[in-house]
Amino acid sequence: MTATTAPPRMTARGFRTLTATQARLLLRAPAALVWLAFPLLLLVVFANIPGFRTADDDLGGRSVLDVYVPTIAAMVPLFLGCTALPVTMADHREKGFLRRLSVSPVPAAGMLAALLAVIAALAAAGVAVITVVGSLVYHVKAPASPGAVVASFLLGTTAVLAVGLVAAALARTSSAASGMGVPMMVLNFFFSGLYLPLAELPHSVQEIGQYVPFGAVMAAWDGRGALWAHLAVLAAYTVLGSLLAARLFRWE
Amino acid sequence: MAVIEVEHLHKSYGGDIAVDDVSFTVGEGEIFGILGPNGAGKTTTVECLSGLRPADRGRLRVLGLDPRTERDAVRRVLGVQLQESGLPDKLRVREALDLFASFHPDPADIPALLDRLGLAAKAAAPYRTLSGGQKQRLAIALAVVGRPRVVVLDELTTGLDPHARHATWELVEQIRAEGVTVVLVTHFMAEAERLCDRVALIDAGRVVALDTPAGLARRAGQQQRMRFRPSAPLDEDTLRALPEVTAVTWRGPQLEVTGTGDLVVAVTSLLARRQVIAADLRVDQATLDDAFIALTGREHPQPGPAGTR
Repeated sequence: MTATTAPPRMTARGFRTLTATQARLLLRAPAALVWLAFPLLLLVVFANIPGFRTADDDLGGRSVLDVYVPTIAAMVPLFLGCTALPVTMADHREKGFLRRLSVSPVPAAGMLAALLAVIAALAAAGVAVITVVGSLVYHVKAPASPGAVVASFLLGTTAVLAVGLVAAALARTSSAASGMGVPMMVLNFFFSGLYLPLAELPHSVQEIGQYVPFGAVMAAWDGRGALWAHLAVLAAYTVLGSLLAARLFRWE
Repeated sequence: MAVIEVEHLHKSYGGDIAVDDVSFTVGEGEIFGILGPNGAGKTTTVECLSGLRPADRGRLRVLGLDPRTERDAVRRVLGVQLQESGLPDKLRVREALDLFASFHPDPADIPALLDRLGLAAKAAAPYRTLSGGQKQRLAIALAVVGRPRVVVLDELTTGLDPHARHATWELVEQIRAEGVTVVLVTHFMAEAERLCDRVALIDAGRVVALDTPAGLARRAGQQQRMRFRPSAPLDEDTLRALPEVTAVTWRGPQLEVTGTGDLVVAVTSLLARRQVIAADLRVDQATLDDAFIALTGREHPQPGPAGTR
């Protein structure tokens, strides 16, 4: 709807206040934050499974926990990007909060960016907690190629956030948002090897998986295929998702 | 200068015509009522005016600005309170006002606004805990917090108890006293009669009448009606002979006399000459309700669930 008109401008103070308001509202709804605690719990459980912390020659001298920590860390942006982000926005839409904002000088992109900033900050905090606890408490080894891991993780995060933004832009109700976000999340979990080791999947399925955000991240971590190609896939998700979300954004 | 101009607005949703052909102008400092039954096209009209929906045809201007192509500029001068909008349950009153104030360069003083709206004690209350009247007052506060020059208030008092309704009306009068032009959408006749300088009566997507509330009532007919119980037998024909009287009928023990002009004076002086006392005397004049029925040809809608288009 806004696409047909000149995009309204937003005051810097307005954007800051909107972002702070979103943060406050999210922190007042602790249910959404369970997803920050769950990966941490998983880390603690895995670390206490006998044998998960011993070096394994099949894993190149790394322990099962070493291998799993990045996957556990990836749960944080997946949970937040695929569920918290679209559900929060859809809830605002369902309550008529967006309708009320739509008659104020607030552009769709500003609305999306404010919530995105909060979700991204939470994701960064969650990943930092997993990384710090993993390395300081359980002495998890740094990945073999930290550059590739960090770069693909960052782009993977922006990619799922952008996909979550599209759902946030469109879903009319919070249950519709869950309906869009949860399958997306499960698909990403699947291709990040959370349920089954990726190596056990048929080759063609593995190929397809490289075009799913966290499938591409895992392929980058494992050194399958060219790193730049995986990063390009993730960047494409990020750019196209954000543009699409700003364009499709519904106030009601 | 006209603050709002609407010329031949037309809007349909799919095949359903919501607004067929609506035109009106609103002058500076006016309280202008848009009155009509549910589904008449009132809300669609103000949604188009607020830039929320594109008009299919017609010309709309708010302070000379086009609500679609100059939406940004319009949103800075126009405060809007719409139906079916709310706030997150956990957002507090003060936070909501701070948020909406932050979008405007020169917002109203928030503590003073809270005070005036009787919400000062509720500043820290989450939205969810507010009563219907408090939510409605907060909605008005959010519409005026940016110091708009024009406010649109849609079905402001639907669902409010009489006390809250009267308090809300006073608020609208205060807003106008500060020089703000008000467009008030309502289906309550009493609301329009009390607040509006002029009223556009809309039915089935068209303006059927545009006048002052008193003017509209007059159009419904000059008819007056009085009812009373005569203290002594009275010959109806002497009443009928009065030039002001058009009809005389018995309603049980009561006599109902309808007519025009100085009906009441003519009838009471006749009764006085005959030494008859008019007990339980009631005089009805045509109201906006009568105008509504006369001009739209239907019973006026009782306060019912909101949700008009």
